[in-house]
Amino acid sequence: MQLNPTEISDLIKKRIDSFEMDAEARTEGTIVSIMDGIVRIHGLSDVMSGEMIEFSNGAYGLALNLERDSVGAVVLGDYKSITEGDIAKCTGRILDVPVGPEMLGRVVDSLGAPIDGKGPVDTQLMGSIERQAPGVIDRKSVDEPMETGIKALDSMVPVGRGQRELIIGDRQTGKTAVAIDAIINQKGNDVKCIYVAVGQKASSVAGVVRKLEEFGAMDYTIVVAANASDPASMQYLAPYAGCAMGEYFRDRGENALIIYDDLTKQAWAYRQVSLLLRRPPGREAYPGDVFFLHSRLLERSARVNADYVERMTNGEVKGKTGSLTAYPIIETQEGDVSAFVATNVISITDGQIFLDTDLFNSGNRPAIDAGLSVSRVGGSAQTKIIKKLGGGIRLDLAQYRELAAFSQFASDLDEGTRKQLERGERVTALMNQAQYSPLSTGELAFTLFSANEGFLDDLEVKKVNAFEDALLAHLRANQTDFLDKINQTGDYNDSIADEMRSILENFKSTSTW
Amino acid sequence: MSELTTAARPYARAVFEMAKESEGLATWSASLNFMGAIASHADVAALLETPRMAKQAGADALIQFCDGKLDDKAQNLVKTLAENNRIKLLPEISILFEVLKDEEEGRVEATVKTAKKLTKAEEKSIADALKKRLGRDVKLKISIDKALLGGVIIQAGDLVIDGSIQGRLKQMTAAMAG
Repeated sequence: MQLNPTEISDLIKKRIDSFEMDAEARTEGTIVSIMDGIVRIHGLSDVMSGEMIEFSNGAYGLALNLERDSVGAVVLGDYKSITEGDIAKCTGRILDVPVGPEMLGRVVDSLGAPIDGKGPVDTQLMGSIERQAPGVIDRKSVDEPMETGIKALDSMVPVGRGQRELIIGDRQTGKTAVAIDAIINQKGNDVKCIYVAVGQKASSVAGVVRKLEEFGAMDYTIVVAANASDPASMQYLAPYAGCAMGEYFRDRGENALIIYDDLTKQAWAYRQVSLLLRRPPGREAYPGDVFFLHSRLLERSARVNADYVERMTNGEVKGKTGSLTAYPIIETQEGDVSAFVATNVISITDGQIFLDTDLFNSGNRPAIDAGLSVSRVGGSAQTKIIKKLGGGIRLDLAQYRELAAFSQFASDLDEGTRKQLERGERVTALMNQAQYSPLSTGELAFTLFSANEGFLDDLEVKKVNAFEDALLAHLRANQTDFLDKINQTGDYNDSIADEMRSILENFKSTSTW
Repeated sequence: MSELTTAARPYARAVFEMAKESEGLATWSASLNFMGAIASHADVAALLETPRMAKQAGADALIQFCDGKLDDKAQNLVKTLAENNRIKLLPEISILFEVLKDEEEGRVEATVKTAKKLTKAEEKSIADALKKRLGRDVKLKISIDKALLGGVIIQAGDLVIDGSIQGRLKQMTAAMAG
């Protein structure tokens, strides 16, 4: 005979102890119609907007449309067993999800219920799904780097803790790969990660979780998954649920990173819910508040000051700032960044990483378009050494791409142009990076330094990556102290430059690749 | 259901205000109740649905069904409703009118479901307790439902107070299942 995990005598005893016999007063309504996961309820005159509604089959709903004589609500979960005429009860609770460090390492759905088969999550606190973003007074400017370990990103489009940086590109251009690398690189950085998967194949989510486990990243990561087969209401709510879990860490003076993969599908799910609720459609059939849908979500990613953290923890945590960094992902169709949702999110975020199909197909990994990718605040959050060494790379690369396109027609080039082209080819090759192999600040500094100081100029382009691999192996084996020093301080001055130069010269004269 | 209520509200409010001004709340209540009952009868409803009974013809038919029991103003109401193709709202209007009347008279109707027949003293104590909670006189409508096993369920408007054994068993099931 199989026993349920809830049938342990201790648990039963506790539940009997805590069970209170009380007459229950509640507000009730009757379900008038149910279709496509939308219920209309007659009655419920006291219901709040966004309140949870309990149905007689135990499922919950979310009140979205409060009309004069009826309430329009979406069913969260199974709506097959709800019928017309059923009773719907108010719960008096605005929708909330469990939050806390206990959630780390778990895969949960949009309501915070575990779906990884590892038993119940024993959390102490609940966090409201819809919360006002911290105000102006509570914020602190972004000045700490959020390192992704990806060369091209950290040098060209740096992101600071508390920033919102969009990852945008067509399907199959490596958007998720960038995000997963960013999570893996947070190992040992004391940054909690939340990966929100919206409308994806269950197999893709399982693949991501497996990869994170493989690299030991699940220990500090929460995965919130609303798969393609889940109701639209759950897909619409998943980012807010993930955000509430991230806010818990932000408000306790910790750093968190959240990835919304992806917001296009969430907008689709919201469009479905809105149309079924008979809200008027606008451009591309999205409802009028699709901008607010994303702006209110992304505003909650912020760097907050120590006063705010102290207030939120009732004085428990003092003198620590908190941050929630967001990497929203948007999928474009045929590189069209002027689509409705894409332009919305581009204007909300503090910059974007644009991944290009052509670059991807010509073998660049990650396929970042240096010209279209920007970071509006990240520069002030870079470590000194990366800022100094990576300063010109983005513009150089963007110019190189333009020049390369033109030079295809030119028969003879002047010396300056030819040099710029050769340099560009090498830097492009250098920016290639395999998946799941993040670099530390020190390692990144060395690769940038070797390009800046002309150590790559006498190499063949196809040897650049072999050279880099050999260099990194050499550094990891022989120069750990020096790397650690750079990683910790991030300083850059003449003596450090001299030491780097001598290490490189020494390596180049003694090694093969 | 909710759409009908929304459509019926302006009519009910208009009738109610007119009745209040002319101090004919009781008469109107009776005639609306009567008209509502007739209009919701299946045969009458089906008849009024037919295209030949649209507008004036339908109003005349309904007035004839009522067999001279309607005064001029009630007849006018039926004609106005027919003009707007709203005759089938009559039952809703009657319900809404009763709610408005109860509100005006400081009363509220509460349905009480019990497992066993209540004694007079019990009924009074329920009515008193409800009066205290709702701040109005309570008109009790009592029905018996064996499935409750014990206790009572009181419903006043959208508010439900569940003190039945059945409800407690359900609560307990939820608590035990976690």
